[in-house]
Amino acid sequence: MSFFELAGCYPEGSSSASRMAYTARQLGWGGIIFLSRDPEGIFMPEAAQKVKGIEVAIEAEAQAAGSRALKGRIGSLSSRYPFVAVLGSSEEVIRMASEDPHVDLLIHPCDVRHPLGIATARAAAQNQVAIGFDLSPLIHMRGHNRARWMEALRINLELVRKFHIRPVITAGAASHLDLRSPRELMALAGVAGFEAQEAAEALRLPGRLLELNRRNWAGPGVEIL
Amino acid sequence: MRSRLPVLRQRRRYMVFVLESEDDSGMVQARDLMGEIASSQLSLFGDSGAAANRLRLISFDGQIGLIRFSHQHLAETRAALAAVSSIRGIKAAIRTKGVSGTIKSAREKYLPRLVKLSFESDGRRIEQKDISGCIIRTHGVKVDLCPDDRYKSAGSGARFLGLTSLDLCGGHEDADGTADGL
Repeated sequence: MSFFELAGCYPEGSSSASRMAYTARQLGWGGIIFLSRDPEGIFMPEAAQKVKGIEVAIEAEAQAAGSRALKGRIGSLSSRYPFVAVLGSSEEVIRMASEDPHVDLLIHPCDVRHPLGIATARAAAQNQVAIGFDLSPLIHMRGHNRARWMEALRINLELVRKFHIRPVITAGAASHLDLRSPRELMALAGVAGFEAQEAAEALRLPGRLLELNRRNWAGPGVEIL
Repeated sequence: MRSRLPVLRQRRRYMVFVLESEDDSGMVQARDLMGEIASSQLSLFGDSGAAANRLRLISFDGQIGLIRFSHQHLAETRAALAAVSSIRGIKAAIRTKGVSGTIKSAREKYLPRLVKLSFESDGRRIEQKDISGCIIRTHGVKVDLCPDDRYKSAGSGARFLGLTSLDLCGGHEDADGTADGL
């Protein structure tokens, strides 16, 4: 299984899906998953599919004002898209997303004041929700802010290891200039506190989840071939 | 300082990289680049880490460069280069191409593939329903566009929109082609 990157694209980012896919292929990615709050509004998705040598998937990022609305949104998106991610913008959203088995990935903002809680970690482990670590602050921030962010990431990572949650790492790119190669991302993850094997697995996980979810499951453990 | 005993000499590695940036001229100064790399390294690993790695810029022609570092600090060097996101306020990315043990082998292995990299200035315009603006440059299927609506690219701090010719005409089947297909 090759490495997969999660990224945003135009109109939410500043590069088109095809430019992101083209750059990602040059950098050595096996696949790229575009996460969008409005997956149908992406500019020229068919152009991205024409880029050869890389698997391109356009998937959904659930976002809503409240936790109840978010639950409904996740339910409607999970029936249409094989991969649903949630950006943990608040404690309420993080708790709700970790308790919903339809969520594949919860991208946790590493904040020292609001670290990953034990209850959230336990719920994420039970519901097989992967925890995403966006490494863009490591690239874009400097000094004290970055040190605080790294401190929070280490705290969260300890809990992820303790509860055997599968982590995902991403550069959180919104432009082709924000994309980094898998090796660079592994090196950055090493600086942030990941082990080499752990980082490589974290880069493979989105592709594996996508492959599993694309299969036709009639029920838990029952697949229609 | 040069060691008197060859066996005490530190082993080195050489990394070839390509700088991708939004700079119109494509000519970033070597001093600015090295300043950013050194700042990134100091910020990530501190003074002792920087002293142990002994990072030096061997050559840089505005786009392609060669950097020297200690053979035990490959991952650190990759991380320091990856953490560079802008040079003098202009959005940029350093793409590492490969690592080798000598300058000669680094050049032989990784430089011939890069001869096609040369940007050309462009004066054409794109007028579509969702997108309009002036083409800044094209390279192969890659197109950089300066949008008429500046807020379109405000999200990630980029000045230009990164597109491909596939977005603009949709008829370019082979993404490996060198014709811009506009």
